[in-house]
Order: sequence, then structure tokens, then C-alpha cells
Amino acid sequence: MTGIRTNAIPSWCPGCFNFQILAGVQNFLDKQLKSGKKKQDFGIAAGIGCHAKIFDYLSLPGINTLHGRVLPTCIGMKLANPKLNILGFSGDGDAYSEGMEHLVHAARYNPDIKYIVHDNQVFALTLGEPTPTTEQGFVDKTNPSGVQVPPINPIKIMLGAGATFVARIFANAAQVQEILTEAFSHKGFAFIEILQPCLVFHSDKGYDSRFYNLQKSGHNKSSISAAFAKAEEFDYNSSSSKIPLGIFYQEKRKTFEEIKSKKAMKSKILEELWQK
Amino acid sequence: MRCNIICGGPAGQGPNFLARIISQGLVKEGYFVFCSREYESRIRGGHNYNTITFSDKPINSNASEIDILVTLDNLSLEFHKTRLNKNSIVLKEEQENISFAGRVFKLLEIDFSILDNELKKYGNYKENIEEAKKGYAKETRKLSLRKPTSKNKNYFMSGSEAVALGACKSGMEFYYSYPMTPATAVLFELAQKESMFNYKTIELESEIASINAAVGSAITGAKAMVGTAGGGFDLMTETLSMIGMAEIPLVIYLAQRTGPGTGAATLTSQADLHAARHSGHGEFPRVVVAPGDPKEAIEKISELFYLTQKYRIAGILLSDKHLAESFYCFDERPKIITSKKSIRQGERFSSYMSDNQKSSTQEPKIIEKISEEKINKSKFLAKESDKFETFKIHGKKDSKNIIVGWGSTKGAILDAIAGLDCKFLQVLYIEPLSQKIKSELSKAKNIILVENNSTSQLSEVLAEKTGVIIEEKNKILKYDGYPFMSDILVSEIKKRLK
Repeated sequence: MTGIRTNAIPSWCPGCFNFQILAGVQNFLDKQLKSGKKKQDFGIAAGIGCHAKIFDYLSLPGINTLHGRVLPTCIGMKLANPKLNILGFSGDGDAYSEGMEHLVHAARYNPDIKYIVHDNQVFALTLGEPTPTTEQGFVDKTNPSGVQVPPINPIKIMLGAGATFVARIFANAAQVQEILTEAFSHKGFAFIEILQPCLVFHSDKGYDSRFYNLQKSGHNKSSISAAFAKAEEFDYNSSSSKIPLGIFYQEKRKTFEEIKSKKAMKSKILEELWQK
Repeated sequence: MRCNIICGGPAGQGPNFLARIISQGLVKEGYFVFCSREYESRIRGGHNYNTITFSDKPINSNASEIDILVTLDNLSLEFHKTRLNKNSIVLKEEQENISFAGRVFKLLEIDFSILDNELKKYGNYKENIEEAKKGYAKETRKLSLRKPTSKNKNYFMSGSEAVALGACKSGMEFYYSYPMTPATAVLFELAQKESMFNYKTIELESEIASINAAVGSAITGAKAMVGTAGGGFDLMTETLSMIGMAEIPLVIYLAQRTGPGTGAATLTSQADLHAARHSGHGEFPRVVVAPGDPKEAIEKISELFYLTQKYRIAGILLSDKHLAESFYCFDERPKIITSKKSIRQGERFSSYMSDNQKSSTQEPKIIEKISEEKINKSKFLAKESDKFETFKIHGKKDSKNIIVGWGSTKGAILDAIAGLDCKFLQVLYIEPLSQKIKSELSKAKNIILVENNSTSQLSEVLAEKTGVIIEEKNKILKYDGYPFMSDILVSEIKKRLK
């Protein structure tokens, strides 16, 4: 493994926004390597879905694991080797359907890992079924009458679960690189949702004209109530509301590996057997 | 000489602690002791009991007669009264349960200083010793049992303690687990002893999280292990299959209980043999080992760490509630196999069929090659595991009668066959199964099977792997959630001897 890219040829659709995410990640990592970090200092994990192909293109140590299991895998890596810089990749199906249990708990544990969710609001690789962030009314082969239930709001879930870094950006290489720089300077669990329209199954709903930047608008990212208010602005259903991007919330809290690396309390009953 | 003591009482009132104190005192006196535990799925009340069987000769199971019944409440007497005989001594109506310990020690003519030393190891010593003294003074009868001739046994431990100890001695660095009876006892042990070794016990949100975190630790080079029971194991099996694809070393402790479903959560069973062998989709090598007592558990877990690291596979240590919760004594120091780590941080792994840079592929030649590598690995594994004791022959080696069993039935079978014209083939490695077992079975004239399940799963494995079919009438199967009693097993075996 010499360069940051493997020689695998990407199999995403032409023009897919995943190329933007890959470019952003790659630019960020190139910079890290130039500033003295080694590939062995990183650990990556990806789930299953279009997003996960990024594992094939990044020549970094780690694992392309099962659907939904990126976060516990990342936690295991970080606990075993706390010096590693851990980067996890999931899709919206991966993170919010099958992996929701892990997502909520990871936010609570606060391991120092960076978690990117490629949210294209659809199961793309399985040809267009709805995920938990798909809007009501969305029609596909499995829902001829359209999706009936409302989508979840991952930002609110993460704020509620205690994530110490909660951000949303658009799938644009510069934004990806910038947010990764912010996230890696945060010590704790960084949740980064990337809105990434799917060109085939879920085009964007005039996103471009609806975005605005939280940091430029003077949002106070250390206020949890301000963060919730901002999270409310876009419910993943509306095709007209404004969509805030940037860091919703950030706080400092002890990390999971800091807690777990503490020497255990001595047991009151130390049996002679164990000392033999 | 064989003597059985039952300590019964409601959960939370300490029948288990009482039994432990009595058992440890008997061991110090020089007796061979076996102590099992039956309990309900509740925190307070109900009826829990421990059965202590001790002898001046090696003992590995309980028998059904009751010599001393210690009752912490009236329900205990009700529960066991049909098993009492005219010589049974019933102890009841004490203020505190430790005074029962005093009475039992006096009955058995064991010096009070032994009880004193045992109580010193635990909290509440001042109150306990006063109670124990009262009980010792109050009891005037004597059982006049034969005194042991051998000295204090080196080890007295439960299967769970052994699994935990074996894992620590094998260099385990991470134990991930979600509480589930009867696997939880290992989690307790490891959490209690964490300060003495260089490992971490981590409880995450589910069994799925546990095994995936173990995978994360393992791919950075750490020796990882998970522990669970049937239902939790079912949740882990998708990842077990992924490990088969990605080639990651992992030790899995699977403690069986009565299933299917939630079954009987606190009772024993040997019904997960096929689950351990076959769970997980696709074709991939694995090791499944079933120790029959704590000493074997320590040894086999170290072999599992060795084999899983060397071959980058999953290894399952198959135990059950009876082995996990029972205390056994033994003298000989277990043999620990040291194992080298096979992974260093920097490698890539994938749950996909993937090329040499671990990018996914659908190239038929690569898929074929990977599949063949897994078959070859199975062959190497079979050869390598033959270096270890994959099965044992106990009893009369030249007998034409052979009993076949595995796991926790070992104790009752050993105690049952003493003096009978038969030998006992104990299968330790279920997967890979040694081909030497085939020749052992073909030499025998009469094969008798003993298992704690209703479908004779081991006999199915033997039929599949050796072609040897065991006759239906020669299958001694128990599937009521409880372990075999040696005296009842003797009569079942005798009916089938030739």
C-alpha cells in the first residue's frame, strides 16, 4: 500500500456524489500523511451498500464489515489500540436501519471515532427501496402506494443520545475535507451526516437553494437547545424548508477508551487460585 | 464412601454461599468434592439448592440419595422430602444460615479451625464466626464417615472460573459479553479479576455489538474473546460467518442451557452441538471443543487461542450450565499452550470475496481459490488439532462395551462406570472430529451413547463423520433440564452392557 488509493476501479454510477465524498476523504488523508501520519495510524471500517465501496478504494488498514455493524467494529479497534485514528463509513440504511442500536449507544459511550453517514435517503445498491430517512410518499417497487411512515431525523436522535459532535454537510469534496479536519480535532464521537443525493433512485429536492451554513449564521454550537432548534428546521420530509449545514453541537466529555483504560478496581476476594 | 449434602433455600438467603463454605471446608479436610447448583430465574424467593457430593475417592457428579438436608425454609423440606431415607439427617430452624455450616462441620467431625479459615476469606466475618460457633456447639450427632487419606486438593473451581482463568492464562486481552445465563458467570469472574491481569471486560449494548467489537479488536492484533448462551450465540452467527470469510481469530465461549427459545433459562442441556458446528451461512472452517470438567476447560481454551490465532478462524468452547456452575476438585496443574498472535495492525480484512488488496471481487478464479484455501485450512486444522487430546478413553481399556459422551456428562459417566466392564470414549474435539475415533468405535462390540439432549446430536455427528450408527435402544438421553445422577446412570448403563 503506497498511495492512499488502491488500484481498484470505482464501480459507482458515473457522476455519483460518492466520488465527491471519496475525493474529500482522500484530500484530507493525503494532508494527514504529508504532515507525518502513517497509514498504520489509521483504522477504517465500512458497512454494506454503495457507501462501502469506499473501502475498496482507500488503501488503509481496517475492515469492510457487515451491514449495520460499523460502529461496534470501530469501538473494538479503538479500545484495542487507542492511538489509532478511526474513521467509520455507513450509509443511511446501514446506520439508521440495521445499525440504529449501535448508533445510539456509540453516541452515549463517546469513543474517539469519526463516523460518516452517506445519507442518500434510499437503499440504492438493492435498487431503490426506502430507508428510515426516505420522505413520505416515495414510491418504489416495494411500496407501490408510497411510503406511509414519516422519516426519522438523525440529527435529533444524535443530540438526544448524547453525541458530542453532531454535523451535517452536503456531498461536496471541500465540505467533506473541512468537516473531517474539524471532526479529527474533536476528541470524542463525531457524527457526520452527508446528504448525498442518489442520481438514479433519489434525486435531490432543490437542496442547493435550501442550504445555509450554521457557522456563518452565528449558531451557538455549545447550546443543546439551539442545536435541537436548528435540527427541527429540516425534517427530511419537506421539499421546501431551509436545510442548515455545519456543526449543530459540540461538547467535551470523557471518551469511552479513557474510561475503559482505567485500571480496574481490585476485587475484595482475591483467591489464591488465580495467583498460582 | 459417598455422602450427599443438599443446601436448599430461597434465592437471596444464601444456600449457594453456605454450600460453597461447606464444600471448601471438605476440600481442605482432604475429601474429593463435587458441588452443583440448581436455581430458578428469579432474584428473591423460590427454591434454590446446591448438592454437595464428597468422597475419599475422586468424585465428579452428584448421586440421588440425600445424607444431609440443610433447609433454609419449609419449602426446601417439601421439595426434597421424597428423596429422604431413614438415615437422612435434616437440619432446620436455625437463626442464620452460617450456623448450619457449624452444624455440618460438627456432624462430619471436621475441625472448627478449617471453617474459621474459610469464613475469613469473606465479608461479615465477625457475625459469621459467631453463628458458626453456635451451630458447631449445638450439634451433638456424628456421621462417623471414613476420613480421607489424601491431602488437600490443589484446585476446587467451577467451570466458569476455569474458562475465565484459562482465557487469562492464554493471553486474552479483551472479553466482550452481554449478560445471559449461564455464560454470565464468566463475565463476573473476569470483571472481578480484571485488576490482576492485562485484559479488559467490556459490556456493550448487545451480543451483536459484542462480537463485532471483538472483531474490531482482533483485526488490530488483540486476542479477543466473547461469551454467550444459545440465544445470544444465534445473534452472533452472522458475524461468525463473516469471520469465516474475513479470516479473523476469535474465541467464542458458548454455554448451553435448555432451549429452544428462552427455554428453561437456568437449566442445563447439550442441545447446541449442531448450532455450534453449523451456524453461519457459507462454508468455512472452525473449531468446536467441549471440555468435560474445569481442568479440561482451562487446557482446551488455551488450545483454542493457539488454533484460532494460527489459522485465523473462530473457535467455539462449548460448555453448559452444569459444567459452568458446578465446582470440581482436581490436583494436577492444567497444561497451558502458549499461542503467538498472528495479526499486526496495518492489515485489511473484508466480509466480501476479495482480491489480494482486499477489494471485493466476483472473479470466478479468485472465488474458487479462496474457497479451496478454506478447505485446505480445514485439512491443516485437522492435522494440527491431532497434536492435542481430541478425545480420551477412560475406564477398562480392553472392554468390549464402550460408552460415548461429550461435555459435562463426563462427571456422571466416570462415576457410573467405576467397577463396570466398560470404557468411556469422551469426545473433546467435535470439529474437527479425529478419525482415530472411527477405529476406536469399530473395535467395540457394544456402543452406548449418553447425552443431555433429546435427539442424540453426538451420535449424528459420529454417523456423519465415521459411518458408525448407534442403536436407538443404546441411547441414554436425558432432556428434562437436569444433569445425570451417577447412581441412576449406573442402572441405565448396566441394562445395556453385554
